[in-house]
Amino acid sequence: MARTTSPRTAALLALLALGTASAQTYSGPNVTLTFLHGFTGPDRPVMEGLIKKFNDTHPNIQVRAQAQPWATTWQQLPSLVASGKAPDVTVINEDQITGFIARGAVSPLTPAEMKAAGIDRSRFFGPLFATADYQGQSYGVPVSSVAYVMFYNKDLMKKVGLDPAKPPRTRAEFLAAAQKCTVDKSGKTATQAGFDPKNLDTWGVSLYNNWVGSRAAYAAILQNGGSMVDKNQNAAFNSPQAVSAVQFLVDLVQKQHVARPNSTEEAELAAFSQGKVCFFPSGQWYLDRFEGQKMNFGVTFLPRVGGNVRDAAWGGSSHLTLPKQRAGYDANKRRAALVFMSWLSQPAQNLTWTSTGSLPTQPAVAKNPQFEKAAISGIFDRLNSVYATSGYPWVGQVMAPFDQAWEAAYLGKKTVTQALNDGVRESNKQIEQARKNFR
Amino acid sequence: MTVTPATPSPPAQTTPAQTTTAPAPVPRRRLNLEPYLYLLPHAVLFFVFTVYPIGYGLYISLHRWDLLSGQQPFVGGEFYRNLFTPGTPQFDFFWKTLWNTTFFTLVSVPLLVAAALGLALLLHRPIFGRAFFRAVFFMPGILTVSVMGILWRWLFDNQIGLVNAARDALFHAPPIPWLSTEGLAWVPIVVGTVWWTVGFNMTLYLAALGNVPLSLYEAASLDGATPWQSFRFITVPMLAPVTLFVVVTTALASFQLFGQSLIITNGGPNRSTQSVIQYITEEGFTNAQYSSAAAMGFAFGLVMLVLTAAQFRMMARDVREGGA
Repeated sequence: MARTTSPRTAALLALLALGTASAQTYSGPNVTLTFLHGFTGPDRPVMEGLIKKFNDTHPNIQVRAQAQPWATTWQQLPSLVASGKAPDVTVINEDQITGFIARGAVSPLTPAEMKAAGIDRSRFFGPLFATADYQGQSYGVPVSSVAYVMFYNKDLMKKVGLDPAKPPRTRAEFLAAAQKCTVDKSGKTATQAGFDPKNLDTWGVSLYNNWVGSRAAYAAILQNGGSMVDKNQNAAFNSPQAVSAVQFLVDLVQKQHVARPNSTEEAELAAFSQGKVCFFPSGQWYLDRFEGQKMNFGVTFLPRVGGNVRDAAWGGSSHLTLPKQRAGYDANKRRAALVFMSWLSQPAQNLTWTSTGSLPTQPAVAKNPQFEKAAISGIFDRLNSVYATSGYPWVGQVMAPFDQAWEAAYLGKKTVTQALNDGVRESNKQIEQARKNFR
Repeated sequence: MTVTPATPSPPAQTTPAQTTTAPAPVPRRRLNLEPYLYLLPHAVLFFVFTVYPIGYGLYISLHRWDLLSGQQPFVGGEFYRNLFTPGTPQFDFFWKTLWNTTFFTLVSVPLLVAAALGLALLLHRPIFGRAFFRAVFFMPGILTVSVMGILWRWLFDNQIGLVNAARDALFHAPPIPWLSTEGLAWVPIVVGTVWWTVGFNMTLYLAALGNVPLSLYEAASLDGATPWQSFRFITVPMLAPVTLFVVVTTALASFQLFGQSLIITNGGPNRSTQSVIQYITEEGFTNAQYSSAAAMGFAFGLVMLVLTAAQFRMMARDVREGGA
């Protein structure tokens, strides 16, 4: 493999200095790999650039990529695998991956294979890598990541006497800050007598009724030591920890009046853009938008509103996986595919990938000086506490009733206990049916 | 049509001519095959894309079907029984969302027919800017459902919607949480759908109005008929065939409600605006319960078939009686 020491590769190796491990090379006969992914938006050219770079630096591996909408892949993957025409490498997202693993569409990555390819899971954020784990085995390598964060308006915080350099971290700090930010049209704050919550001028926090809004409740439950499913993978988001965590959020609307009732994501987004609300918890994907508006804002990790057991926020992620192939599949292809996966998840490539708005998948990239001044780096100290909805095969059966439960509780249609109990009941009925598919 | 009276004699001549030149019975077989050859391209498509999928769908609905699973056991009517077993999610939500869809149809079809007819009557007359207004009412129909949905979601947003802003500016009325109140959430969906699709029905009515002979109105006015009587006893009966077409197609389209409620309310609050198709999609692709979704698809298809047949019979009778 004398060719691997080309100047370009040397430069690449130099780039890798910002990480630690380097990808192993593949020395077998020439192979062509098919790579199916769902990065069809502005992230597509970035992915295509990376693949070109890989092909240029790996003359004996040619990766042919195909981009198509995620939902199409979820529908096609079963028949592709069943007919033995699965792509060599596929990207699967966090909410789908365990289902595909449990149904046998994806093959496990053995420790020996990962070691040979230079994939070291300790390099990645732990919960992120674990997203593609199932029953003690690894099935994927994270390549892209998004997370729920909390945007805050620095100007507004200053105006009400809060220190914008110190966004709240605990429940008490958060409540106090939200109360200070909530001012009615006559100038009274949420804690003063005569405060009129129906005529708000500015308010503390954005809560809203769609699935993005419900991710705040998801985080709160994890923060309080609760979880979405129990050890038997039945829905368990009505545990005492969960009820108490979600109750705090609902109280922000109904008791503390520091969040607007009956609001929508669009309305809160507009309100935050217009400087009407201090804290806007949502997906980190809104970063571009606020940067484009030249707002004076910051980004922080979601404070521990649910409880003080641990830091937690929801995250979404995409994982490189090897679909199950028919018997007699070329072992060289699998080796080459592992090398490709390893290369694409290396720090240098991950750094390039963050230009699409993805978060770093590993601490080595998060430490890159490029991020020092970026607003998003405000969450980097706790990126290791981002948890995806994963680990059980029926994510849809759990999250859809959970989102409904959040909606009912937030809108005040049901008490928190009742909403979560109803959600768990519905979820478990559906899980009971889903189990029959996994025998 | 006025030229044809001169032609009765040629047919009398051509018929014997054709019979004399027609070959003996032998090629009859070829004659039998030929039409089928013409039909073949369509038949292939019809079998590949209609008959086969329906058959496969039926197979899926009767088995516990998953391509990835080694075995796909036959379960008979289990997924159909779920629909009639109280306590199952399918029993709870299939009928609820089917009722939602029916409710939407019951409300939107009369509006879409009446509004289309009203607009057509207005724009049939030679008023100023007629072509412009025809275009204006037709134009929303060319938008995709996503554009239409986002537009009406914005208009009716609980907090920042134009409707609530207008209520505040004009009457100092408190905002109404349209999108998160059961019942009210239908307003943007129904009004938006009418705005979006009324133009197509209007165009059909405009064409039909152009075909009503003016002599009928002239005769009626000589007999002293009021405009209302002319409308009631000439226009409405003459338009009956088009009305049948419009009602049936609009009802079928309304039963296929999906995009509007998905985008405007995402089926909420509390599934009160979830369409049956959205629920079937959720069951199939979110819950990966393909067989259950297939069974519900067939059940829904059957319901629509029965409703359409009933509607057709009822209205076709009206058309015959009205036309007679």
